Amino acid sequence: MSVRDDGDPRLLSVVVGTGPIAARVVEELRAEFRFVEVVEVADATAAAGLVEQPDEPQVPLVVVTSTVGSVDEAVDALDRFTVFASARVALVTDRQVHDDVAGAVDRDRLDAIVAVPWTAGALAGHARSQIARWLREHRPDDPRTDLLVTPEGRPLERPDSELLREMELEADDVTRQMLASIERVLGPRPRLRLPAGVRITHQDHPVDAVLLVLRGSVALDRTTRVGDLRLHHASTGPIVGLLSLAHQRRAYFTARTTTEVDVVHLSIEQLDRALREDPDLGAALAAVSIRALARRLRRAEQLQVEKIELNRTLDEERQRLREALTALEQARMELIAQARFATLGELAAGIAHELNNPVAALERAASYLAEDVGRVLATHPQGELADVALRSARDRPPRGTAEERQLRRALEPVTGDRDLARRLVAAGVTDPDMARQLLAADADLVGLLEAAAGIGGAVRNLELASRRITGLVSSLRSYARPDGDPLDDVDLHDGLDDTLRLTAHRLRGIEVARDYGELPRLRCHPAQLDQVWTNLLVNAADSLDGSGRITITTERPDDDHVRIRILDDGPGIDPEVLPRVFEPRFSTKQGTVRFGLGLGLGIAKRIVDDHGGRLTLASEPGRTEACVVLPIDGPPDDREARS
Amino acid sequence: MKLAVLILEDEPPVRDALERDLAPFRGAIRIEVAEDVDDAWAVVGEIDADDDRLALVLADHRLPGTTGVDFLVQLLADDRTRAARKVLVTGQADQADTIRAVNEAGLDRYVAKPWDPDELRAVVRNELTEHVLEHRLDPLPHLAALDAARVMVLLRDRGDR
Repeated sequence: MSVRDDGDPRLLSVVVGTGPIAARVVEELRAEFRFVEVVEVADATAAAGLVEQPDEPQVPLVVVTSTVGSVDEAVDALDRFTVFASARVALVTDRQVHDDVAGAVDRDRLDAIVAVPWTAGALAGHARSQIARWLREHRPDDPRTDLLVTPEGRPLERPDSELLREMELEADDVTRQMLASIERVLGPRPRLRLPAGVRITHQDHPVDAVLLVLRGSVALDRTTRVGDLRLHHASTGPIVGLLSLAHQRRAYFTARTTTEVDVVHLSIEQLDRALREDPDLGAALAAVSIRALARRLRRAEQLQVEKIELNRTLDEERQRLREALTALEQARMELIAQARFATLGELAAGIAHELNNPVAALERAASYLAEDVGRVLATHPQGELADVALRSARDRPPRGTAEERQLRRALEPVTGDRDLARRLVAAGVTDPDMARQLLAADADLVGLLEAAAGIGGAVRNLELASRRITGLVSSLRSYARPDGDPLDDVDLHDGLDDTLRLTAHRLRGIEVARDYGELPRLRCHPAQLDQVWTNLLVNAADSLDGSGRITITTERPDDDHVRIRILDDGPGIDPEVLPRVFEPRFSTKQGTVRFGLGLGLGIAKRIVDDHGGRLTLASEPGRTEACVVLPIDGPPDDREARS
Repeated sequence: MKLAVLILEDEPPVRDALERDLAPFRGAIRIEVAEDVDDAWAVVGEIDADDDRLALVLADHRLPGTTGVDFLVQLLADDRTRAARKVLVTGQADQADTIRAVNEAGLDRYVAKPWDPDELRAVVRNELTEHVLEHRLDPLPHLAALDAARVMVLLRDRGDR
């Protein structure tokens, strides 16, 4: 009895349920369809068994009856099988209220609801429509679709009612039909041909007529606080002024032609008469109005969505601006810091230069003093001894305080006097036998030797001090070297050592180990890199707080790079803070700008970045390592400039 | 019993200079030097063992592994050193260090580097005098290192009694 090509699958309509309702459903559907087999099953499992056949039948329609208990559960059970998941679902029910369909409705799995009892043929009509929709969606080329027609032979899915029918027509057709109806009642209406820019309704003015737009475009504008806004153009609709009738007969918009238009003018009275005499006109008018309203509503909804999107974009923009502002402020702080550094650098270079002369004088004076005192001593009867005391005090490295006390104590038995023991040690006499001989020979000699040794120690201290100043001056000068083009042949170890010398006051009590490898000379801005070393060293020292160990390791990881690692065994950086340490941070206090750890690291990172290198920081308690990798070839922009 | 002055300074030239600037007091008082905190405590032990009395500590601020302020604070916790007058001799202490030295260590004086030798001797003389007066010590054995005018007043008052 099936009417189908061999290639087309068998179609099944499954009725889920039992009892008289299911029986009636089956009866009516079987009477209706020749090419859809109707089967009755008690539940979803039975249904699955029925359809899982070798010829793979398809199921366009499932009818669930209220005898199944929970509709949601029945639909859920069915939907677990692919073959049912695409079926249309109709519910036939004798219940007054259903509270078991929320899931099905939510998932759009309830397509039709028929109440028991139904007018004979009504269920079949629903089934026909649903199967037709299913076929159109899933098997658009199936020839059986054509068999699905209304009892009157109309194609399916054409509404019966005038209103719904009109709504499905093209807008122009409705307008034309409406005009025809109007002209049947009122006689031919003159067309008004208007150029672009003519206002055909006026905002807030009374509306006494509607205009039927037959050709051309009309825009709806409204004057607002922020100026004239064009709210509708494509969404205007063919009748202008009709909606004002719902707005106390005042125009909400100014309607303005945007092209040449043909319109038909109808006063309210004329419209009223036409509506009275042609009832179909009402449906047409309603259809046109609903359609216009729907379009305007969609336009309004679209505007709402756009507004939300715009707001979001605006928020993002605002956020970006805020970030940009912060970055700018930070950049300004960095510039201030750099300017200050540059000024200090120039100042330091100047001072370093000026210090050279006094230091040279100091150093020379120390050696002249030693020579002259030597000559003076030569004239003294015990001069030779004194000269030895002077020289040994001058050349001997300073003794520790504990050692000195020990020496004194060793002499106390000989002298029997603590002060005399001290003077002997100061005079360079530490051997008890020698002390005994000396005291036996001439006790007054101790004073001479003490004085000579004092002079020797003073000269040594002078020389040490001036050498230290000389070292500091030269470090300061190379550190404060003004920026310019990068320099060639820079030995990074010099910069590291200079920095160590200049930050010595921050490194007191900290053991600094230098594990220097073989480094090639490289092209760079040494003064800038010194800032980096300073920053990393001072950070490490600060975290150690007066005791601990810093290890500086230098190496050449590959042919093109050098690597400098500064490791400390301090408490480490808070893991929450670690990712943000390179962000510039600053605080202003009493009008002066103070820089914390952050800004310094930010600057350090930028300097390394500008060199085409990489600065990374890894930290755990007891092990914090700053690692700088630099290209031997020099900064990238400089490389480009040279090539 | 001798009054003792302890100089705590890690740099030998500076230590030498401090010791030498105080040389005129030698004889009247005992002068000891230490290069770090451990050695300073060793000196405290020796002074105590000799039945001398630690009257004054001159400490540098920057020291290996610690600060002079920390040492001065430590002194307060020990019976042998609690009474000693405390002077910070430094070129580097910042405001926070100084505030802590005053508040927590009961700092008596602050001498900035480089110091003037006469001024340094005046500070030492003054602090020793304060120590003697505060603890009602017999000033006579130490007179050469004390402020004679103030001690005379004390002696006269005592004589009157």
